[in-house]
Amino acid sequence: MSAATALLDARDLVKEFRMGERSVMALRGVSVAVRQGEYVGITGPSGSGKSTLLHILGGLDTPDSGAVSLEGVAFLGLTDSALTRLRLLKMGYVFQRFHLLPVLTALENIELPMAEAGVGRAERQARARDLLEYVGLSDRADHRATQLSGGEMQRVAIARALANRPTLLFADEPTGELDLSTGRQILELFRRLNQEGMTVVVVTHDEQLAQEASRTIHLIDGLIAPVPNPQSPIPAR
Amino acid sequence: MILLAARNLTRHPLRNLLAVLGIAVAAALLLDMVMLAGGMERSFQRMLLSRGYQIRIAPKGTLPFDTEATLAGAASLSARLRADPRISAAGAVLGGALFAPAGDSLLPLAGLGVEPEGQGLYELDSGTDLGPGDTTGIVIGVSVAQVTGWRTGDTVRIIVGTDPQMARASSERRLVVRGVVHWLYAARGQRTVGIALPLMRALTRAAGDRASMIMVKVVRDEEVEAVASDIRSMAPGVEVNSVSTLVARFRTRLTYFRQLSLILGTISLFVGILLVTTLLTITVSERLGEIATLRAIGVSRSGIVRRVLAEGALLTLAGNAIGLLLGLVTARYLDGILTSFPGLPAAISFFVPEPAAVARAAAALLVAGGIAGAWPAWRAARAPIAATLREEAT
Repeated sequence: MSAATALLDARDLVKEFRMGERSVMALRGVSVAVRQGEYVGITGPSGSGKSTLLHILGGLDTPDSGAVSLEGVAFLGLTDSALTRLRLLKMGYVFQRFHLLPVLTALENIELPMAEAGVGRAERQARARDLLEYVGLSDRADHRATQLSGGEMQRVAIARALANRPTLLFADEPTGELDLSTGRQILELFRRLNQEGMTVVVVTHDEQLAQEASRTIHLIDGLIAPVPNPQSPIPAR
Repeated sequence: MILLAARNLTRHPLRNLLAVLGIAVAAALLLDMVMLAGGMERSFQRMLLSRGYQIRIAPKGTLPFDTEATLAGAASLSARLRADPRISAAGAVLGGALFAPAGDSLLPLAGLGVEPEGQGLYELDSGTDLGPGDTTGIVIGVSVAQVTGWRTGDTVRIIVGTDPQMARASSERRLVVRGVVHWLYAARGQRTVGIALPLMRALTRAAGDRASMIMVKVVRDEEVEAVASDIRSMAPGVEVNSVSTLVARFRTRLTYFRQLSLILGTISLFVGILLVTTLLTITVSERLGEIATLRAIGVSRSGIVRRVLAEGALLTLAGNAIGLLLGLVTARYLDGILTSFPGLPAAISFFVPEPAAVARAAAALLVAGGIAGAWPAWRAARAPIAATLREEAT
């Protein structure tokens, strides 16, 4: 795929973590390009570098070497506040543990990124209600996060990620804390979002979720490996 | 943001309530120390200026009523002063021991001979004032009225030059109570009466034209020091003190009070800072995952700092509000203890709740609250997003 047509382009990413005397190479020169409207799954065994790759692609961490750009804007040259602004307006994040603010209602949690972006109160409330309806939680608007079930919390987290109408949605193990049927609802939500044009990048252990993706990047020991055949066992590391 | 901060504080209500109470105690102590540091001086100054007399003239080397020494040529000096157009009033005062018969014994009274047309010692509560050169009238303090039962218009016996042990009087005079007055410099419960200066001289057989003190009221405050200086030149044998000079002397005597207040106030401020810092540091540590998430979804570092500082400010404000009330209550209680020292003028207060002092204490605490929140806020804003999220996920 040509980098020129890629929405998100990452080249030769290297990341090493030092733990005392020991060092772990999380990424050993990974290059990824994601096109507008793609649904990319990042899979691999634990410790293969999936989350590290997602964090770097999402501007949450910096690589030791290599470069990332979104819509042609290189992360490397950006100040912290510019990168934060880019995350706010162009990217949405969904985490395994939802990370909603427990003291806020579902509606207020969704309003939070919009408030940060300077969206007026009336508009953000209207938009938050639309998003709650989109994720099927209109009746839970005034419930605090602690009063929601795991699946409901994750749906609110997805609505929050969509609040500023991002270009790209990142999700890190979004079904990891959910039971099978609730996980399926979340899968369905991602599929719907992608069908409506949202570019989605998901890190997952969940094979079903990975199969939903239009393309899968499989990582082993910090390198991109051929995607294993679902019928054959995962290659030994 | 304030609403979010307030809701965050409800996550651990008991912990935060205890912290607020701790801040309130520190705020109360700080307020009391600020009131104590300047309160007595202000109270002293207010008392001295209560009738607007800005200058006191006393015998050389003494403070007014510091000794039993008297000024010679008081009436003539007082008359010369009254002739000065810059001076609106001047009056001599002579102290003396008087007694009132009380059954078989005698009740000692603090007698003050005054020139009613230029007196700065009392304010009339009821009845009428003494007339100039009044030889038959007396004004009495409230405590005298309470003890003796005397009322305005009563004719009472006043005894002078007596030996209380022997209950023997050298002279006695019948006087009419003209009115009940409030003595501005009297100690609590002190039994004070006032009569005209010539009568006091006659009763106490004071030799010549003598007085314990002369009080001077200058028309314009800005001319007080110039008038005081002119009096010093005019009468070099007397001690001339403006209120500002007296307050300065008083301030020197209060140095220890101020130092103590400063030290205790500073300690209380540090206690407040430590409380807020400790609480916010714990809060930030507990919520690092949440903070990393906020950063991930696009909340800026300054936004995180503002959120943490808002929580610190709310804690400080709540502590301040309670501390203010607590400080005023404890100040009143402590003032009651301190002002009950015998001989201290009743008008003197140690803790004066000046709005400026209250505002200073509140401002100091708010600034301290900001300082206290700075470190946890900085720590929260600098938390590495990816590493924190990784730790949260494991």
